[in-house]
Amino acid sequence: MLELRDVDAAYGDIRVLSGVTLAVGTGEIVALLGPNGSGKTTLLTSIAGLLRPRGGTIRWEGEDLATVPAHLVVERGLALVPEGRRLFGGMTVEDNLELGAFAPRARRHRAEGFARVYALFPDLRERRRQLVRSLSGGQQQMVAVGRALMTNPRLLMLDEPSLGIAPRLVVSIFAALAEINRAGVGVFLVEQNVQAALTLAHRAYLLESGRIAGQGRAADLLHDPHVRRAYLGPLAVRT
Amino acid sequence: MTAARRERAWAIGILAGLGGLAFLPLVARRDDVLNFVFLILLSITLAQSWNIVAGYAGQVNLGHAAFFGLGALLARSLWIGGTPIVLAMLAGAALATSFALVIGAPAFRLRGAYFAIGTLALGEILRTTVGNVLPEISTLPTATIAGYRLAHRYYLALALAAVSVVTVAALAGSRAGLGMQAIREDEPAAEASGVGALRLKLTALALSTGLAGLAGGLFGYYHISYYPSHAFSPTWTFDALLMTFIGGVGTLHGPVLGAILYIVLKEYLAVRWVDFHLLIFGALFIAIVLLLPGGLVQAATRGRRLFARGEV
Amino acid sequence: MNVLAQQLVLGLLIGGLYGLAAAGLSLVFGVMKVLDVAHGELIMLGGYGAFWLVALFGLDPFAALVLVIPLALVGGGLLYSGLFSFVVRADEETRVKNSLLIGFGLALALHALAVQLWTADERSIVTPYGGAVIMVGELAIPLVRLLSLLLAFLLIGGLHLLLARWRWGKAIRATAEDWQAALLTGIDVRRAYLLAFAIGTALAGAAGTLVSVGYSVSPSIGLEWTLKALIVVVLAGLGSMIGTFVGGLVLGVAEAASAAVFGGPYREVVGLVIFVVVLVVRPRGLFGK
Ligand SMILES: Nc1ncnc2c1ncn2[C@@H]1O[C@H](COP(=O)(O)OP(=O)(O)OP(=O)(O)O)[C@@H](O)[C@H]1O
Ligand SMILES: [Mg+2]
Repeated sequence: MLELRDVDAAYGDIRVLSGVTLAVGTGEIVALLGPNGSGKTTLLTSIAGLLRPRGGTIRWEGEDLATVPAHLVVERGLALVPEGRRLFGGMTVEDNLELGAFAPRARRHRAEGFARVYALFPDLRERRRQLVRSLSGGQQQMVAVGRALMTNPRLLMLDEPSLGIAPRLVVSIFAALAEINRAGVGVFLVEQNVQAALTLAHRAYLLESGRIAGQGRAADLLHDPHVRRAYLGPLAVRT
Repeated sequence: MTAARRERAWAIGILAGLGGLAFLPLVARRDDVLNFVFLILLSITLAQSWNIVAGYAGQVNLGHAAFFGLGALLARSLWIGGTPIVLAMLAGAALATSFALVIGAPAFRLRGAYFAIGTLALGEILRTTVGNVLPEISTLPTATIAGYRLAHRYYLALALAAVSVVTVAALAGSRAGLGMQAIREDEPAAEASGVGALRLKLTALALSTGLAGLAGGLFGYYHISYYPSHAFSPTWTFDALLMTFIGGVGTLHGPVLGAILYIVLKEYLAVRWVDFHLLIFGALFIAIVLLLPGGLVQAATRGRRLFARGEV
Repeated sequence: MNVLAQQLVLGLLIGGLYGLAAAGLSLVFGVMKVLDVAHGELIMLGGYGAFWLVALFGLDPFAALVLVIPLALVGGGLLYSGLFSFVVRADEETRVKNSLLIGFGLALALHALAVQLWTADERSIVTPYGGAVIMVGELAIPLVRLLSLLLAFLLIGGLHLLLARWRWGKAIRATAEDWQAALLTGIDVRRAYLLAFAIGTALAGAAGTLVSVGYSVSPSIGLEWTLKALIVVVLAGLGSMIGTFVGGLVLGVAEAASAAVFGGPYREVVGLVIFVVVLVVRPRGLFGK
């Protein structure tokens, strides 16, 4: 269970998040939606420990993460698939996945991890000796999700996994997320593809200018006129 | 007090201090005092010149010695050949600046660390070449030595230090100076908001190397004999860098304070610990970098803040 | 013709040491984004360390590597913990500046220390087989220098394997590519920095040992070796240790060739000119991205 209470974050003097309070329950799929620059990435990097919040608390399974270094946050079962994937492009698929299992706890489950990732993304097994930078965007995104899975997480956080990827592959990545979730792993998903995100998620939060501007069950939000206008664009309103 | 007003106050204070030093030759009858202050004044000019391109425009130039050396080389030979020293020094500065403008555009294609090592290599190229072409020690003709007046050197050094301070003060408040600082903070952002980065960096380099060339000319005028390649030695760059950072890079008064502290400390340690002074000096310098990353200037600001909050 | 060939062979032999010197610097720069301008001084210390071991215990200098490398490894770890760990806290731009400062301070202190301990004289390790020469046709190949080249190659090869196979070797490479992503996979990035710096120092120590056998050391060789290493790093780009070794050989041969054409005193200049030209044409290095 992940709980954020009154979290403030800033870059230098630029305040980006103000009083964000939200929760992701065990095994839940929660989406975080918001326009460009609203602070979604900042929120995820704060949870992952790459950025220290200025105020408020971030708790994971009851523990305050304020003083936990980023590499130990992973060890505690919180994994982030960062914006833009951030893979190690000069290494092979296998090495990237293996690095996901670097922490001691993950290393014990290394073999299962590989089996799980290759079962989800059979493409990757064939390409395991290929350099990551030679893969397509969609395949790279699979490696990114796979690398995070190798850490053996209980909550998987993803920052815009559909960005710049062929629609067919978006579908398979979202299908993979649903499957990962069926195994009991929580999913916290930041997405621009609102339709897809709300279809997958159980609940969602709306982030606007660094504040939580709304929340609700995904199914309700999908039909909410405000959400449709603001997030799904004019085409969506007409249909 | 706003930052700009504080800078102006510093400028006035420093210039007043330099003005006061004008009376020193009248009071001090001993040459070693004048020599010591001369060294500080030369260092102020050198540090301030490096500060323009590194502190304001944010480009760590490790080839600074090359420009100092070029100034020394040309000014000294012209002067020995009969040209008045001020003209000779200006010619030396012109040579340094011209060279800077020639290499500037390609050098500024390099960023960050690559600019630093590229300029370091450039400086070494000049040093080695000069060492190869002019391997003989350069000594003043006997007649010139007979007429040597330390006070002349001293006043020139004083004037040059004042020029360097005025240059930086004028630059810091100008549009060009603000543009340079924008480049230092974030070059792409500065470019996006219409700052001509290359032109401004070249301007900074031209000013910086011009001053370095003048300082080199003074060095050539001051010393009775030295190997020409000595003026190209990377130690000049490192000294300028150390003094600027000890004081506070990118400020008007930082290099001045840094130069004073540096020379005083170095001389003091050299007398007190003849054998170990460089070792202690290096260690002390590392300690300053680690403990006061923003130099003395930042330490002072921090102290003032604590004081204002009543925590001291 | 034979004179030229002889020169080129000697250039190739010292080029191996350039490669070894550069490998340590390349590792530290690539992983930590820290420019350690005291790298040449570390090489110098390695040379004197070997000199000491040989003088005190009567070891064979090549065998002394077995002691020099672990000692340098520990020394590098201490140096990182005491100094450079403070530098890596800053963002990249500031890191480069601060590391330059600390590097200069360190270079100054180490140089002064070496003068105190060993005087400013040049020294080299004398071995019974030091004068041995292998004749290949009309080419004379000094045995110790040939052995040095081979050892340099073995060390680089070992480093390559370490980075390719060892768990922490991969972690070091991952950190070099993207330290934040490395954190996200659970790598303790600070430990990767520590390891990289310690290994870099160990390589410098090894290079220094070889320099003191086939050539000579004095307290002031630091800057020269730092520059050689920098030139090779820029020629070869970051990331491939084998590439760095080849870069070192290329520099050694280029220097020898240019010395033959322009005369001995211009040996250094030509290397530097090549360097500046490459840097300007390919600001990120010949093989850099
Ligand atoms: N490193 C940084 N330094 C300064 N400001 C930043 C930095 N990163 C982000 N910002 C600013 O913080 C705000 C929030 O950025 P963030 O990346 O969190 O938004 P986002 O919701 O993820 O946007 P997007 O949908 O474009 O990914 C933006 O105004 C951005 O300009
Ligand atoms: Mg984002």
